[in-house]
Amino acid sequence: MKPAVFSYLDPRTLEEALDAVGEHGDDASVLAGGQSLVPLLNMRLARPEVVVDINRVPGLDTSRVEAGAVRVGALVRAATVEKDPALADALPVLADAVRHIAHPQIRNRTTIGGNVAHADPSSELPAVLAALDGAVVLRSTAGERTVGWEEFFVSVFTTAREPEELVTEVVFPVRPDLEFRWTEFARHHGDFPVAGICCGLDVEDGVVRAARLAATGVADRPVRLREAETALTDAALGAETARAVGELARRAVDPPSDVHGSGDFRRAVLATLVRRTIETWPDRSQRGRRGAAA
Amino acid sequence: MNRLVGARVARINDPRLLTGRGTYVDDISLPGMLHAVMVRASIAHGRVTRFDAAEALADEDVHAVITPEQAMARTRDLPLVWLAPEQRHTHVPVATDEVRYVGQPLGVVVADTRASAEDALDVIDVGYDELDAVVDAEAALADDAPLLYPGWGTNVVASYDIGDTGEEIEPVFAGAAHVVERRLQVQRLAVNPIEPRGLVAQWDAGTESLTVWISTQVSHHIRDHLAIVLGLRADQVRVIARDVGGGFGSKEHLYADEALACLAAMTTGRPVKWIEDRGEHFGATFHARDVVHRARLALDENGRFLAIHSDIVGNCGAHASNVGTGPFRISSIMLPGPYRFERAGTRIRGVVTTTTPTGAMRGFGMQEASWVRERLVDEAARELGADPVELRLRNMLGPEDLPYETRTYQRYDSGDYPEALRRVGAEIDKRSRPSEGRIRRGVGVATHVEFTGLGPSKMQQLVGFHLGGFETGVVRVEPDGSVVVSSGVVGMGQGIETTLAQLAAEQLHVPMSAVTVRLGDTATAPYSASGSIASRSMVVGGGAVVRAGGRLRERLVRIAAHRLEADPGDIEVEEGVFSVKGVPGSSLTLAELAGHAWLGWNLPPGERADLEEKDVHDPENVSYSYASHAAAVAVDLDTGQVRVEDYWVVHDAGTVVNPMIADGQVVGGVAHGIGIALHEEMRYDPAGQPITTSYLDYVMPTAEDIPDMDVSHLCTPAPHIPGGMKGLGEGGTILSPVTVGNAVAAAVPEIAEKLVETPLSPSRMWTLIHEAGLHDEAGPHDDPTSKE
Repeated sequence: MKPAVFSYLDPRTLEEALDAVGEHGDDASVLAGGQSLVPLLNMRLARPEVVVDINRVPGLDTSRVEAGAVRVGALVRAATVEKDPALADALPVLADAVRHIAHPQIRNRTTIGGNVAHADPSSELPAVLAALDGAVVLRSTAGERTVGWEEFFVSVFTTAREPEELVTEVVFPVRPDLEFRWTEFARHHGDFPVAGICCGLDVEDGVVRAARLAATGVADRPVRLREAETALTDAALGAETARAVGELARRAVDPPSDVHGSGDFRRAVLATLVRRTIETWPDRSQRGRRGAAA
Repeated sequence: MNRLVGARVARINDPRLLTGRGTYVDDISLPGMLHAVMVRASIAHGRVTRFDAAEALADEDVHAVITPEQAMARTRDLPLVWLAPEQRHTHVPVATDEVRYVGQPLGVVVADTRASAEDALDVIDVGYDELDAVVDAEAALADDAPLLYPGWGTNVVASYDIGDTGEEIEPVFAGAAHVVERRLQVQRLAVNPIEPRGLVAQWDAGTESLTVWISTQVSHHIRDHLAIVLGLRADQVRVIARDVGGGFGSKEHLYADEALACLAAMTTGRPVKWIEDRGEHFGATFHARDVVHRARLALDENGRFLAIHSDIVGNCGAHASNVGTGPFRISSIMLPGPYRFERAGTRIRGVVTTTTPTGAMRGFGMQEASWVRERLVDEAARELGADPVELRLRNMLGPEDLPYETRTYQRYDSGDYPEALRRVGAEIDKRSRPSEGRIRRGVGVATHVEFTGLGPSKMQQLVGFHLGGFETGVVRVEPDGSVVVSSGVVGMGQGIETTLAQLAAEQLHVPMSAVTVRLGDTATAPYSASGSIASRSMVVGGGAVVRAGGRLRERLVRIAAHRLEADPGDIEVEEGVFSVKGVPGSSLTLAELAGHAWLGWNLPPGERADLEEKDVHDPENVSYSYASHAAAVAVDLDTGQVRVEDYWVVHDAGTVVNPMIADGQVVGGVAHGIGIALHEEMRYDPAGQPITTSYLDYVMPTAEDIPDMDVSHLCTPAPHIPGGMKGLGEGGTILSPVTVGNAVAAAVPEIAEKLVETPLSPSRMWTLIHEAGLHDEAGPHDDPTSKE
């Protein structure tokens, strides 16, 4: 398991990095944390001519909370997001989801930008982005653009990123009116989930005022379960609603079968995750809304 | 006297291994060493029509490419060790242009680095005439199945009966009040030691000798078979196993690719390293299990067992492995377990398919036998409304019945089988954690007798197993009083170095720190034909060390008595000091005794000078361990997930030399078995391509699957083994899959009848639960918007 021969570039500035991907385009793979690229290289499933290692590019490894969004630099490590108190305060679901990515040693290397750019259909962060209506910032020598999640995630391992672009930042909008939770079902903690959901609810006096529901592992990219969101909105929390919404989630997807189970099994797991999440959702409205004290 | 046997002595290798100072094969680097990779078949079935390495050889980093044609010309066939009656394979070629599984080695590339060897592999052009694949053993029995060896006219490589045959057994089933019949299956498994296979081979052209450092359980077996296939004399080959990162059965013979890597060293005249990578392991290292049993249990009107029979179709893969149909045979002889039967037997058909050959893995046939027998017994209890523990006790052999000859030729030795079962039964009776909502809970038990300590050589001859069953132990006291123990068994992480040292130290009455154990090197270790397989290292190898050590102690006592002018009966030995009882100051240290002995001075008349004793131990019988297990599980009806919440083991492996190591073996074995029960499965697509070739798809158990366990030992010594030991490395794996299965059946009785096949993965469980109508929400089948 040794990679095929490639050229290695390690740009020291963002400009050099953009020049490198601009010049090599489709022939280049960008190395950030290496969580996915390194095994793909070693198994020779990826055979880029050039590997552009952006780990020494300054300015991509910081995150900030501003103007209703958490903006995470592409090189910020999963372990950093997991432990950053400012991020935890602004958007606790981010750390909740990140904790399900692989294992601590790997999360020390995994980057948020790389995870999103890789677009694995069973990955956690794309579904978080979907639930939050997040976006990805792309830069090339020609300039910068921000692409919404729905446009960014095209299919399995395929995104709207052009070959000459770099993911520089991932934008997770903060919705203080909603409380978000991450739940997934995997064979083991750290494995790719069979299915996972990011659910956000605004509950007042036992009634859902607003809802966001996104899933991973059940399609070729993250999906928003909009019928389920509609059904949740203005519904009373409880077993009846949970069951109905789980059923809508099941019907919204049609995943393929694989070695871990049939498509029907995946749909059933999704329905169970949705139903149980709603069933066990605490109504905190009695003791004040989230963030109301701040 | 210091009691070392039975003490929780820390493992003597651990400080070295845990601080990164071990020497696994990949840690060995020799000057001028080259790196080999195997050219492997990418199709399941066909003939190689083109093997073009011109472009690869043009690379200056590439030193050699051995083609299938060259390999065929330079190697002889590899003998198979365990031959069934009239088995159609007795040898297999090391090299061939006939492809019968994906991953089959065809040739070798040797280059300056592993990476350049893999680059060369990329540009070797192999062409095939492709033939149809057949993956499933039952499908391979069909009249129109593709034949792997057309000359046979069948895909059956061997077929035979064990125990009572049809005519003897059918009348018992016909007349029985109750018969339970199921089609039970155990999945194909990949073995997955943490260290894959690998070797470094060095050919010395001057002395015409080959030295091979290899990750193996059987150094002498590797030496003998390398000599055969490479056309060398045995004395020209030296095989060294240093630290071995687990074997679990997968390293119990010489593989064709290992022989080819040695051939590469002889061809290039340079040392060659070959390391199997993890992806390669899933296709190149022999698999295990993959068997279907059509099994029946007959009971009379009082719930008394009358007969058990199984019609076994075993998947051998592309050719009979070193052990061939051995696992199915061991399933057969151990099928009766700890119960009385009037009749018991099996019919075995070993079938070739276009898949990786199947061979040995921890639990060898006995895990499958336990899955079959103990599921049948649990199903009988369910159908009759009997308590599963009580039904088992009613039919179990008691201590007063032993020794006992089974219908399948086993002479069980010693123990109290019912006591082990009563103890785990009492544990589950105390448990009262109820089901909650969609989480169902249940408890299950299982019990078995285990064939360990292979084995009397004459029995191995009777069953066509072409390896000796003895072990030799050499114990030597050096002139300075240090002690060296040599044995032909191999350390592979099981702790045998520590336990052999305990035995020798106890026999000689010296501290553990005085003892060094040397294993694994054919140049220095006594000959061991069978090596470290079949839970035999401690039983057979340890028995030899007990006897050799005991004889050496007697000699030392005689020498001490002579020098101290006392009667040998008055000599006491404590911590390496020999004293005359009741005479203070009249004593000699072991170093003082040994220093003179090795000079030949001050010896009693007739005493030899050397302080070395050798014992050849060929036991008169295998030794029969036994155990009962119990599991408590929780089943999530909605996701199909099974969680093992509690686990109990009562195990008897005779004398337990080191309870800490014994517990580790049992707990590790149960963990392995929980993986079999819930997760692991090696799968192929219909074209014969393996589809579970990384840990993304081949799911191994992890710490989160394994509950804390309650392990206790009964210690009934093996009456015929010096030291009384029985084997204990496999019992945990043998019994845990069916114990978990029985607990799942108790938790969800609606699907009990269908719990016939492992792994009980979430998807399989979900499907069974769904088909049983236990999903109260609208399922996909009654969903009008379903796209199916």
